[in-house]
Amino acid sequence: MRRLLVVAILLVAAAIYLRDPPWIGGMTSGLRGWEGPPEMRFRWTSGHASLFVPRDATTMTLPLKAVFPASGGPVSVAISVDDRWLATVELPDPSAWVRHTLPLPRRATSRRFRRIDLRVNRTIGPFNLGVQLGEIALH
Amino acid sequence: MSRTLVRHFVALAGIAALAGYTAVYGLHLADPPVRSDGFSYYVYLPSWFLYGDPTLNAVADDCCGGTFPEYTAITRWPATGRWVNAHPIGVAVQMIPFFAAATALSWWSNLARDGFSFYHEHFAGLSGLAYFLAGLVVLRWLLRKHFGDEVVLATLVTITWGTNLFHYGVYDSAYSHAFSFFLITTLVALTECWWTDPAWRVSLALSVVAALMVLTRHPNAIFLMLVPLYGVTSWDALRRNIDRLWERRATVGGMIAMTALCVTPQLAIYKQATGRWFVSSYGTMGFTFGSPHLAGVLFSVQKGIFFWSPVLALAVAGLFVARGWARGLVTATVLIMALDTYLIASWSDWQFGGSYSHRGFTDSLGLLAIFLASFFAWVAERPRLVQPVATIVGAAVLLSVAQMIQYWLGILPIANTTWGQYNELFLRFR
Repeated sequence: MRRLLVVAILLVAAAIYLRDPPWIGGMTSGLRGWEGPPEMRFRWTSGHASLFVPRDATTMTLPLKAVFPASGGPVSVAISVDDRWLATVELPDPSAWVRHTLPLPRRATSRRFRRIDLRVNRTIGPFNLGVQLGEIALH
Repeated sequence: MSRTLVRHFVALAGIAALAGYTAVYGLHLADPPVRSDGFSYYVYLPSWFLYGDPTLNAVADDCCGGTFPEYTAITRWPATGRWVNAHPIGVAVQMIPFFAAATALSWWSNLARDGFSFYHEHFAGLSGLAYFLAGLVVLRWLLRKHFGDEVVLATLVTITWGTNLFHYGVYDSAYSHAFSFFLITTLVALTECWWTDPAWRVSLALSVVAALMVLTRHPNAIFLMLVPLYGVTSWDALRRNIDRLWERRATVGGMIAMTALCVTPQLAIYKQATGRWFVSSYGTMGFTFGSPHLAGVLFSVQKGIFFWSPVLALAVAGLFVARGWARGLVTATVLIMALDTYLIASWSDWQFGGSYSHRGFTDSLGLLAIFLASFFAWVAERPRLVQPVATIVGAAVLLSVAQMIQYWLGILPIANTTWGQYNELFLRFR
């Protein structure tokens, strides 16, 4: 009985901690490692990439570059914040960096970070490359 | 001392496996666990449970811009245009509890619930590690019934680190091999129980394990020959088995029906995707039965199982010196392993892509461990042989571990290793 109680307490403590752990701000998925020269570093996304930004950020500027064109139209990137659609950015010129500044909704959240999801409408080649994502500027 | 070590062996192997797993991903020695074959074994789970879509379309749209990359071996079937996954659903089915936990944690921590979050990736990786350890638990139970503690300990250490078993429980743990190792080892254990007492629980468990084996890797159906051939050492023994199976025909019929029922979802997936119940999901890849690479899969520097895991030669020796219970498994094992080797050697990519040692044989290591134990038991009765055999086996295990680390560090090639490369890279860690 005492053992069960200890396990239950540990599980509850772990659950409380894992709801909003401080390290989650550094978590990403669907993003390859950093590449490129120091002045224009970037990471390749896959078809779906996720990253986190601090909750007090009010705007973010996303540098995006398609590199490879899509067949039958521009490459587009749908951006959402905490599972709510925010904007869809089109990248008509594959060779140009596009910097879009997007306002982050001022919805109340008890978490330290908000999740940003990028969904690309096409990927390329064996490495499932989406678009290049530069360093995000937050304000 | 041996008794204590045997009792705690799985816990110690688990600590070593977790340390290895942490090193692999902490030091970025490999991409996240759901990669290469691991992706296609796993992808059913997000497709079914997160997108509610058995066709794989929705997950393709989300992960990959509508088209799965070539490495996934998921292709559009020419006649229907629907996605067909080369790898069946068995691994995904066994991963379900881990996937459920990862999904709950992803929701709780606000990670993406697309099936590829940090939790999803590592719960998938750790599921393979868990099945590897579960396989060791079953193997230890089986061996302890028939061999002394010293022999059991030597066998467990040798099979875990003298072969590529540890690698497929840790580094490529989302592949099918750790799962198949668990299933085939469990099949051996359940077959012994079933011939002793065909209680309905044992019969049911045997049916489900048989189905999962087929669902995890279709060619592993050949291991089911173990059930009718269990204990067969002569034609008379075979006749006795047939008679006993006939006496138990109602139970056997029920078991076959249960296995078929469990396999049905896979057939339904094939039917939906291709319009046919039975297909070769690999598409253009297939068997070249007329020109098997037998020397290649057994002895070559590329992927030869005896070259990279020489301790398994002792399991072959064990087939000749096995006694008692193990003797009754020799016929079945020889037939199964001969057929398995022929199938592996006949596959168009006989090296099985990138792998440490030959991963086609990893699934059968639980069965081969019995004959390794038989050989060690035979040696234990000949004191003059103990020291030299222990020295040779110890050296072979250490070499296997060293080469596994070289593979993890990216020093050894993942395929097509040449003799020149092997010599040049021998025991180099930089």
